[in-house]
Amino acid sequence: MESNPRKATFWQIAKAVSWAFFGVRKKSDLDMDASMLTPKQVIIGGVVGALIFVMSLILLVKLVTN
Amino acid sequence: MAAVHDHDVAHAHDHHPSGMMRWMMTTNHKDIGTMYLWFSFIMFLTGGVMALTIRAELFQPGLQIVNPEFFNQLTTMHGLIMIFGAIMPAFVGFANWQIPMMIGAPDMAFARMNNWSFWLLPPAALLLLSSFFVPGGAPAGGWTIYPPLSVQMGMGMDMAIFAIHIMGASSIMGSINIITTILNMRAPGMTLMKMPMFVWTWLITAYLLVLVMPVLAGAVTMLLTDRNFGTNFFNAAGGGDPVMFQHIFWFFGHPEVYIMILPAFGIVSEVIPTFARKPLFGYSSMVYATASIAILSCIVWAHHMFTAGMPVTGQLFFMYATMLIAVPTGVKVFNWTATMWRGSMTFETPMLFAIGFIFLFTLGGFSGVVCAIVPIDIQVQDTYYVIAHFHYVLVSGALFGIFSGAYYWLPKWTGHMYDETLGKWHFWLTMIFFNLTFFVQHFLGLAGMPRRIPDYALQFADFNMISSIGAFGFGLSQLLFLYIVLKCIRGGAKAPAKTWEGGKTLEWTLPSPAPYHTFETPPVVR
Repeated sequence: MESNPRKATFWQIAKAVSWAFFGVRKKSDLDMDASMLTPKQVIIGGVVGALIFVMSLILLVKLVTN
Repeated sequence: MAAVHDHDVAHAHDHHPSGMMRWMMTTNHKDIGTMYLWFSFIMFLTGGVMALTIRAELFQPGLQIVNPEFFNQLTTMHGLIMIFGAIMPAFVGFANWQIPMMIGAPDMAFARMNNWSFWLLPPAALLLLSSFFVPGGAPAGGWTIYPPLSVQMGMGMDMAIFAIHIMGASSIMGSINIITTILNMRAPGMTLMKMPMFVWTWLITAYLLVLVMPVLAGAVTMLLTDRNFGTNFFNAAGGGDPVMFQHIFWFFGHPEVYIMILPAFGIVSEVIPTFARKPLFGYSSMVYATASIAILSCIVWAHHMFTAGMPVTGQLFFMYATMLIAVPTGVKVFNWTATMWRGSMTFETPMLFAIGFIFLFTLGGFSGVVCAIVPIDIQVQDTYYVIAHFHYVLVSGALFGIFSGAYYWLPKWTGHMYDETLGKWHFWLTMIFFNLTFFVQHFLGLAGMPRRIPDYALQFADFNMISSIGAFGFGLSQLLFLYIVLKCIRGGAKAPAKTWEGGKTLEWTLPSPAPYHTFETPPVVR
């Protein structure tokens, strides 16, 4: 993959993944993602994001049913 | 995207076998792509004849043409053949032809495995189809092969299980090949975020396939041992659980739905920018939305089982998760529409099918959201409403995507232009008869007509008659497609290298027809 001079912070990964779940990303943010995030970070971020998504849905369901 | 390449003319010193052996031994991605596409078309006609027999029987109430046992075999085999024999191999055919040409690679990464992936399919199809002729006939419990019915059936079921094993192995090998090709063989300068959308959708689809095909293989293997070796995975009397099969099956089955639609998304995302003469609106959003759909597709499976018995918390979870898939899907539909906005549009056949796709797939998506709502699903479960819903996403979704791609790339594959007038006739006949067949099935379902029945109550007669007339019109229209393709292969106006003015991807830098070997020297993408 491309050289990776600056390391992405946790929040940058979190932001990129949450926008990805919505399916939208600003061009300038995308360029920053492309230059700073590695595929490994994105995949791990995606899996963690999916887990958080499932947990929050379960929480919502619990809230509704109680 | 700009590309430079030194030479891509076919080398005169090719030594490959001719005649039948060329096709048996070939490791060329274009030959293998062609075989996949012809195989899938033959399966499409085979499954189509079954569909027309079903519709002929349902033309009027009462039993006229087939007996109920055979009717059940037809509905089951129609589903299995269309999914595993027609739609999936068609997209692998597109992947074989297009992915190497679109990323500037000389061939697929594992050329011999590619040959094997294809040649597993005809024996699997023969195994599946010959189950009609064994004692007890073909599988008849629905394409979802739920136990206990699938445990009780004759040996036709074992044949179907082995056929699914073989087709699954073929799919997994095909996917590994596609992933490896895309990740390792892109032309210099083609970063992941410069890849054509069709390549992106196939990359994500291939990962989904590798994830879920083994799950299906596990499910049918457990069925096999339950049937033949006395295990009780799904037999309640022996301590097993038939509902567990449904969970395992749909953990495969729901991502499978997206496996059948994501490559169509990719094709449409190539066709619409070309004929709107504008770059795809929100390319990165499209990539992100596809990835998001793929992840979400793995956590919604139990919406197929709302009536199978599930705690209300489970129902709510799967209902919410399912409805949320509409968000990234909506992003895609918005982006396709925004691509067309103020574009300099022309309406050649590929574009007509792409617009037809957006229009009708969105309708299918909406009825999907309706089915996702638990209290409504409990009403429409196993009715014609569900049949109407999934034919809107699989026929006017996946199949329209395939037609759009076929017309789009036929000039590149054959070197000739197809007959545009006949292509437009094909589109409009398909469009009209498709809606005639399936739109009325929404009404039938809402009125309570169950699926998988050869006879029905009198109040359903009129809509069934309309649906059957539409089905025969739809089926016959597809013979026109066969004629158009054959005519295009045999001759026609010479297609230029850049067949479509708005075509920007690498395959349009190659001559038409594309030479047997292309991009032996990789192009440089700027």
